[in-house]
Amino acid sequence: MPDASLIAIVDDDVSMRQSLPDLVERFGFAVRVFASAEEFLASDCVGQTKCLILDVALPGMSGPDLQRELSRRGQKIPIVFITGQANEDLRRQLLEEGAVECLFKPFKPTALLKALNTALGVD
Amino acid sequence: MSQSTCSEPNQTVPVGCGSNPDSLSWPFGGSCHDTEFLHKVLAALKRHEAFLEEIERASSTGGFIWRAATGQMTCTGEVYRIFELDVTVPVTLQLLGTRVHPDDVSLIHDMIQRAQALANEFEYELRLRLSSQIVKYLLLSARRSEDVGDEAQYIGTIQDVTQRRVSEEALGNMRSDLARVARVSSLGILTASIAHEVNQPLSGIMTNASTCLEMLAADPPDIDGARETARRTIRDGERACEVIARLRALFGKRAGRTESVDLNAATRDVIALALSELQRRHVMLRTEFAEELPVVTGDRVQLQQVILNLLMNAAEAMSGVEDRQRLLLICTEPHSGGDWVRLRVQDAGVGFAPTDATRLFEPFYTTKSGGMGIGLSVSRSIIESHRGRLWAEPNAGPGATFVFAMPARETVGTRGPAKRAAIGPQDNALPSMRTA
Repeated sequence: MPDASLIAIVDDDVSMRQSLPDLVERFGFAVRVFASAEEFLASDCVGQTKCLILDVALPGMSGPDLQRELSRRGQKIPIVFITGQANEDLRRQLLEEGAVECLFKPFKPTALLKALNTALGVD
Repeated sequence: MSQSTCSEPNQTVPVGCGSNPDSLSWPFGGSCHDTEFLHKVLAALKRHEAFLEEIERASSTGGFIWRAATGQMTCTGEVYRIFELDVTVPVTLQLLGTRVHPDDVSLIHDMIQRAQALANEFEYELRLRLSSQIVKYLLLSARRSEDVGDEAQYIGTIQDVTQRRVSEEALGNMRSDLARVARVSSLGILTASIAHEVNQPLSGIMTNASTCLEMLAADPPDIDGARETARRTIRDGERACEVIARLRALFGKRAGRTESVDLNAATRDVIALALSELQRRHVMLRTEFAEELPVVTGDRVQLQQVILNLLMNAAEAMSGVEDRQRLLLICTEPHSGGDWVRLRVQDAGVGFAPTDATRLFEPFYTTKSGGMGIGLSVSRSIIESHRGRLWAEPNAGPGATFVFAMPARETVGTRGPAKRAAIGPQDNALPSMRTA
């Protein structure tokens, strides 16, 4: 069995940081968790991350800010946005800028798995 | 209503001490043979009387002398008008008492008791209920004058303050109507923020519950893991409940009430609701809460409305700012040796022109395209109804600071403006004015 793909989760909400990793591990992935975009950028796993689960509203650098920063750095990490604000315009905009998916919280675990599989090119 | 009989000649004229024959006796002694001079003096007296009556009418204030032992009274015309009494009727306190509102009759008894105890002065606010179902609000005050023999005698005034009371009531009603509008409009502004606050724990609940099922379905089942995720599910559920409880406390329909309020805790609750809205607007929030802040007395929800309004105003003022950090600072501090408590909300926004420093608080003054401009005026009236003050100061750098000061609980009830001077904006060394 090959090494599990690394999924990074960036969310400032403690409920999400505690609950999501267990679920994503159950899906069979390896997981790292960060409370801010800055923390993720400063970590050693930017280059190894196969998919980023990224909250939109973050203190300091926002989710879309991080998306632009990664693209500026030439890091092509697929991004699945998650947000507590059900804003269709925002969703459309994020998808246009290259996000794989934008899920509105609360989302179904199956929807997240589907998005992760799309991001990793698995059917 | 008007007692035209008072000014007609050849009647008992209850003006001045007119109904007391002693008071009109010739004051210079002897007799006067110069009828022309006498006429002049009488004419002067009449003019003087008419002048006093004008003043009485204009101020809705009548005068009286009360002999406490007998209840006998001598009253001026305005008292007759206020009580709607026939001027020919001899007035006693008992007669006036029949016009007093049943709920306030005890005040008359109290007044009699205090007179028996030879009180030097007293003041009462009482209501009249007249036959026409009209209620009037009166302010009665009196002080003991020279006693006649053994009898205590009081001289006093009765003022009809109905107009003022009615206006105050109307003002109070308008204030609560406006406060309600302001609350509802801030609810609109906050809807996204609130949805976000509820969606976070809901999301946790769904994720945890799914993980829990997965763990139980595994072979062998991960019982410890399932237990932990179930615990997290409950905790997230509780968190969602807290958000709802906060919302209900802030926006639910309720009567005003007075309680001890910890401004630090009240502010934290407001921040919890507004935080994601502030985040969405890229506002960096910093708090500096004074430890051991004295509590204040008031309506917690109204005060939270003011705080919420100041936060939202500050965020709004920074919405166009791109060249610097959108920093919002909230701090609480004791002031004047702990007799007062201050809360400051400082933004780095567009600021205001010096000429607008007072206009900011006028109703319907707004700089926002979608704003109703009632927030600050309602906020100020709420703070003032808590015996506090709310004002705006320009910052040394960009932006503005809104400050309110309220008396700490311990000083509530002490009267007089002794410490008021120390809390206004004037004791701040005002930095140089700069607006964007």
